[in-house]
Amino acid sequence: MSTSASLSVTAGMPISTQHGSAGRGRAIVLSLPSNHTLPQGLGLVSAHSNLKGRRGSFKTAVASVDSNQISSSSVPPEKEANKYYFVVANAKFMLDEEEHFQELLFERLRNYGERSKEQDFWLVIEPKFLDKFPNITKRLRRPAVALVSTNGPWITFMKLRLDRVLSDSYEAGSLEEALASNPATLEFEKQEKWVAPYPKYEFGWWEAFLPTGSKGSKV
Amino acid sequence: MAAEMALVKPISKFSTIATTTKPRFSYPKATCTSLSTRFCTIKMSATSEQAAAATAQKPSKKSNKTAIKETLLTPRFYTTDFDEMETLFNTEINKKLNQAEFEALLQEFKTDYNQTHFVRNKEFKEAADKMQGPLRQIFVEFLERSCTAEFSGFLLYKELGRRLKKTNPVVAEIFSLMSRDEARHAGFLNKGLSDFNYALDLGFLTKARKYTFFKPKFIFYATYLSEKIGYWRYITIYRHLKANPEFQCYPIFKYFENWCQDENRHGDFFSALMKAQPQFLNDWKAKLWARFFCLSVYVTMYLNDCQRTAFYEGIGLDTKEFDMHVIIETNRTTARIFPAVLDVENPEFKRRLDRMVEINERLLAVGATDDIPLVKNLKRIPLIAALASELLATYLMPPVDSGSVDFAEFEPELVY
Repeated sequence: MSTSASLSVTAGMPISTQHGSAGRGRAIVLSLPSNHTLPQGLGLVSAHSNLKGRRGSFKTAVASVDSNQISSSSVPPEKEANKYYFVVANAKFMLDEEEHFQELLFERLRNYGERSKEQDFWLVIEPKFLDKFPNITKRLRRPAVALVSTNGPWITFMKLRLDRVLSDSYEAGSLEEALASNPATLEFEKQEKWVAPYPKYEFGWWEAFLPTGSKGSKV
Repeated sequence: MAAEMALVKPISKFSTIATTTKPRFSYPKATCTSLSTRFCTIKMSATSEQAAAATAQKPSKKSNKTAIKETLLTPRFYTTDFDEMETLFNTEINKKLNQAEFEALLQEFKTDYNQTHFVRNKEFKEAADKMQGPLRQIFVEFLERSCTAEFSGFLLYKELGRRLKKTNPVVAEIFSLMSRDEARHAGFLNKGLSDFNYALDLGFLTKARKYTFFKPKFIFYATYLSEKIGYWRYITIYRHLKANPEFQCYPIFKYFENWCQDENRHGDFFSALMKAQPQFLNDWKAKLWARFFCLSVYVTMYLNDCQRTAFYEGIGLDTKEFDMHVIIETNRTTARIFPAVLDVENPEFKRRLDRMVEINERLLAVGATDDIPLVKNLKRIPLIAALASELLATYLMPPVDSGSVDFAEFEPELVY
């Protein structure tokens, strides 16, 4: 399976948040085993052309290819433990305006608790992994907030629900690395007239979903 | 399917409707007749007649049978062109269907967030026994109408789940899981009615009610709106009562927080269905129909709720404020999928709704008089004409262009 091959190649690379050099990326692509079947070859060609067009890292290209392939088949969660899916938008939209977003997260957390299931989704404010996605980064108002999960289909669902978000996936060697963030201060200007017949959700509701060393699970 | 949509039926100026198609149900004990598409016949029931009938009603199922009256604003049961539905979602015919989105939704519905939640306790009966007088009767009506609306959703989704099983098992299973949710809601409401010594005979309803025929695309518009507006109604009531517990007169409202998420997810599924059929979203006909259904749903709700303002005031809400909040938020949500929506934040919109309320009140007053039917009907004519005029003027207000960013030509330039 293409996914396994790609993952094994990636595992051999030193993980870096800096952009790989174009030359280095090409070399790695060329060094892949030559016994892949045609469809995988086509995927690799696509990855290569992506590399040229974006001047992004090899890692990004592989992530894009994997994302397309995985979305058309259901892969058991265990096999993609180090693959992370996300939707991202500006913090005002995610944390202040979209109140139903908060409801969905709390509902899911409660459901996990009822079924003794380990948390597999987090909110990351100003995530560092955005450095891997310059085409996304340039379209974001800041500060940005990402909903990250190892559950790909759930992120697909959240994209459908929220609509005004950008979405992609990436790989990381550890949970801490995947959820690393840059410092940010959140302030939302108060709405001139809050006309709903109930109070707004409390500022800071999202803290329950931020990653913590003691709370997060190691993958 | 929490909300009602009954004011008008679509007319076929903008698209060809195959009125010769006759869907058939094969429920045990169930039969239905499809109606041709046209403006519905207006049969207004007098408020005093309803009140008198309700007062005289004894707690027996037989009484409920004779009590069914179709009015302009009664919750409706729907049927559709199931063959067209099968063709639309046949995975062999339509290679482009976004199965990833449906797979994601299927996983979400299988999670069954509310599997263990709709369990009653003794608080229910105690609260019901404390409710007396007009509020008690108003509450019974709220439970009955809500139960009927949820049950109608159950019937439609169950049949769609059955019919699509061969051609698109994923979509079929989602419909079946949604019918699970609606059955749970309807059952919970019906048990609530038992606290008030009433019971809806749901089997009888299945057989006896008339079904409104909608083509699939109208099912998508109507049902999407119904589910999303249901979410906003329930979450608004829940959050209001959480902040004002002195109005928490019956425990069912405590369940609305979880309940409304079911409605919201159902709406998401209809979003995905419409995205999978972009021909329903991407042309001028789609814009006209989208606005039409928005108007129908918003006006129906507003007239219904203002007619029952005592219920909303009884739980501490200002009826019109509540409805306008629900309309504005539903419209904002709907703008993420419908290609055009109404400009509901234009103050003129609310002014027209309020004029319709006045006209409706006068229509009800005519029905309440002792005049002979001929005189009543003659008095109604100018009022109905005035209502139609307000509806048309509201429909013709300049709309707001909208839609999913997935379909926007300018998407690459959008900043998030």
